[in-house]
Amino acid sequence: MWTPETVKDVVSKHRLVIFAKGTKEQPMCGFSHRAIHIMNLVGQPFEVVNIFDDPSIRPALVEFSKWPTTPQLFVDGELIGGSDIVLEMYESGELQQKIAAAKS
Amino acid sequence: MLSTQDVKQLIEAAIPGATAEVADLTGTSDHFDIRVTAPAFAGKSRIEQHKMVQAALGQHLTTTIHAVQIKTSTE
Repeated sequence: MWTPETVKDVVSKHRLVIFAKGTKEQPMCGFSHRAIHIMNLVGQPFEVVNIFDDPSIRPALVEFSKWPTTPQLFVDGELIGGSDIVLEMYESGELQQKIAAAKS
Repeated sequence: MLSTQDVKQLIEAAIPGATAEVADLTGTSDHFDIRVTAPAFAGKSRIEQHKMVQAALGQHLTTTIHAVQIKTSTE
């Protein structure tokens, strides 16, 4: 059973993690696919949590991040945003800078 | 089901001085591309700006509205 605490643990343990609909190999929503694709382009190892793995993940995530939709990218435990922000930051180079600055 | 006009009105009513341009991404009135310009965004991070737009959509988001793509700017 996931709680906001579980989400907090996961985003603190993994430097780069996306909560998405589907998996890295098989994203099940266009926006999740785009965020995962961008993280593949960035080229740093990242985790994907499939919110469909357990029905309690999504409510716990939304309560923790106060962000109603997926995907959600976290860098060093900080919510970066959904696929629109991730794309915008990737295109401006801000995303790569933020990830490079994150604790390795 | 919300029209692009409904979504535009929700946002412009909730965010002072906002101008919203809304497009239906899939023709099914539940995936919207939303561009919002508002002086009220000044000094706020992208996440905070997006949260303001999400708040304007209220309970619609992830119920009648399945997903949104948001682009914000201050002017």
